[in-house]
Amino acid sequence: MTTTPVISIKNLTKTYQMGEVAVHALRSVSLNINAGEFVTVIGPSGSGKSTLMHILGCLDQPTSGQYFLDGKDVSHLSDDEISSVRNSKIGFVFQGFNLLTRTSALENVELPLLYSSTPVSASERRNRAMAALEAVGLGSRYEHHTNQLSGGQQQRVAIARALLNNPSILLADEPTGNLDSRTSVEVMDIFQSLKEDRGITIVLITHEPEVAAYGSRIVAFKDGLIVSDELNEQRRTARGELAELPVAVEETA
Amino acid sequence: MLTTSLRIAQKALKRNKLRTGLAILGMTIGVAAVLTMFALGTGAQESVSSDVKSAGTTLIFVRSGNFTRGGEESRIPTGLGSTNSLVPADADAIAKIDGVKYASANLRERTWVETSNQRFYTQVIGVDVNHPKAYGWGFPKGKFFKSDDVASAAQVAVIGTTLRDHLFGDENPVGKEVMLHNQSYKVVGVFEARDEDQGEYAIIPYTTAQKVLGTSSIQMVTVSAEQAGDTTRISDAIKALLRKRHNLDKAVPAPGAPSALGGLQAPGLGGGANPDDFTVKTQASEALTKGLNTSVAAFILANMPQMDQTNSQEMAGTLSRAGSTMTALLAAIATISLIVGGIGIMNIMLVSVTERTREIGIRRAIGARQSDVLQQFLVEAVTLSVFGGVFGIAIGFIASFVITNVLHWPATISITAVALAFGIAAVTGVFFGFYPARRASQLSPIDALRYE
Ligand SMILES: Nc1ncnc2c1ncn2[C@@H]1O[C@H](COP(=O)(O)OP(=O)(O)OP(=O)(O)O)[C@@H](O)[C@H]1O
Ligand SMILES: [Mg+2]
Repeated sequence: MTTTPVISIKNLTKTYQMGEVAVHALRSVSLNINAGEFVTVIGPSGSGKSTLMHILGCLDQPTSGQYFLDGKDVSHLSDDEISSVRNSKIGFVFQGFNLLTRTSALENVELPLLYSSTPVSASERRNRAMAALEAVGLGSRYEHHTNQLSGGQQQRVAIARALLNNPSILLADEPTGNLDSRTSVEVMDIFQSLKEDRGITIVLITHEPEVAAYGSRIVAFKDGLIVSDELNEQRRTARGELAELPVAVEETA
Repeated sequence: MLTTSLRIAQKALKRNKLRTGLAILGMTIGVAAVLTMFALGTGAQESVSSDVKSAGTTLIFVRSGNFTRGGEESRIPTGLGSTNSLVPADADAIAKIDGVKYASANLRERTWVETSNQRFYTQVIGVDVNHPKAYGWGFPKGKFFKSDDVASAAQVAVIGTTLRDHLFGDENPVGKEVMLHNQSYKVVGVFEARDEDQGEYAIIPYTTAQKVLGTSSIQMVTVSAEQAGDTTRISDAIKALLRKRHNLDKAVPAPGAPSALGGLQAPGLGGGANPDDFTVKTQASEALTKGLNTSVAAFILANMPQMDQTNSQEMAGTLSRAGSTMTALLAAIATISLIVGGIGIMNIMLVSVTERTREIGIRRAIGARQSDVLQQFLVEAVTLSVFGGVFGIAIGFIASFVITNVLHWPATISITAVALAFGIAAVTGVFFGFYPARRASQLSPIDALRYE
């Protein structure tokens, strides 16, 4: 393809200096991701997956190497420009959710609109956040504080928040880590339809090969290096699987 | 965005009420101190300026006797106004001094003034004909008595407007009679004075007063100078004149051992001659010592070098110097308490930033700019300080009220002072909130997110 990749990294390294010891979280990683790809990143714990994801999400800077987002070198962007990229271009689902505590689910989901470059009225913020919560099946829990929600529910709040500003890139770090198998499939269904219907580029981290199998391309990590990168021929489709799964009755939803 | 920051601040501050309350308390004390300081400053300034206004007048009071205690030993008459060292001729001589406009011989007494159905206890003052001119009295009814009346010690009186109201109500008293010491006096006029106290007085010829009191001396001479700035020179001239007239400069025994107060002078002592048997005071010095115990006043005047000779400008200078020393002291206290309050806010904000590091990380990860984070924490700090400001203003009002009504110090709160106190509170919030807010905004998003 001649189109510029959405994400392009070249010889990326990240080294943490822990006193005397240098921890090489990433050792020269190069990767191109095109628009509309659903890339799953798999690898053992500590292999540098989250580190890569933080750099892709413009939350962290590499020790060396380059990162082009939509063809632009991120290291040349100002802090305000990077903030704006994080706000509107990228949706991030963190490994540890990272929701505001003692704050309602609705307010958490609203957050990206609070910082969007074009002001959004309070009522519109609320409407859009409600819609996003309903899309992840939490419409009835919007007033609950995040610490009153189960792990899976929190994860879904985090997904709703990541999707609120209609990002063109979705970065998800173990989004199914806390979910039971049925809800996992539901989340995968959301992701797959985002890719199919809206053409969103997705990078998803997991260490379960079964989850990785939902992606269109699987990248395997080990010790800060890419050990394999191939298109997934036996893609699982969540939609079809859901139809076969027995409908689970969630406690009080 | 600002309303959002306000809402976030409100929520964050409500979360830890005690801590918020204590931070606000610190600020409250600071602002209350500032406002009270201003109130006292303004009050002092107002009273100084009213003193100085009276200091600008042209009057000089010459009284018989002196403050000097122990005067008995040097055989000089003591007790202000209670001696017979001044005579009408002294007043006449003073009137001839260059620059003196009027000199009026005075005697005074407190007694009952009666009509057939009313009586009122007040000051009866014997004066000379030009006395009303010295004070600028007006005569809404009748006229002042004439020099003939003074020469003949006539039983005539003019009364102040307040006294008229007490004795005659709405009636015109001119031509009516009042009783003084069971003697009948004909009312020839009603005078209107600028000084409210004088409205109660009954005024009779000084010669008549001498007759009533059975004396040929007078208690006081009210002197009016041509020019306000000239009172110092005239006071000196009066002193010299009276010392000469009273033969005080003749050599006498040495005036006793040096004072036990170590260089502090007893009033009126000087030059190894007899002390003055009279007192010359300008209205300026009168204003300064008004309301003070006589001996205290004497001591102050004796130890403020040449107080009596001090002209009105110097007076004003002295008073405002005293005032600015006071103001500087209060300003220092207020500033210190403001700084302490501000540091309290800064401390709370630093704790808050540390506690909410993860929150900052989350907001940054979701697209908050550094300026958004800065604003959020600044708004929080300013909210604290502004609440402190509001409570401080309330407490400042109460404090000023108490100071005015219990301590009887003048304290005036002006709108400017309130606005200023409020402004200072807000500025303190910004100033002391800036460092923590900036620290928050400079956190790296990923480090903030990882913070435990
Ligand atoms: N802030 C840090 N300081 C020091 N070392 C770090 C830091 N963050 C990550 N590392 C190290 O970098 C390596 C990669 O970490 P990373 O979080 O990317 O792993 P991961 O692949 O996401 O693992 P997991 O699957 O358990 O989430 C690890 O060895 C980790 O200890
Ligand atoms: Mg990880």
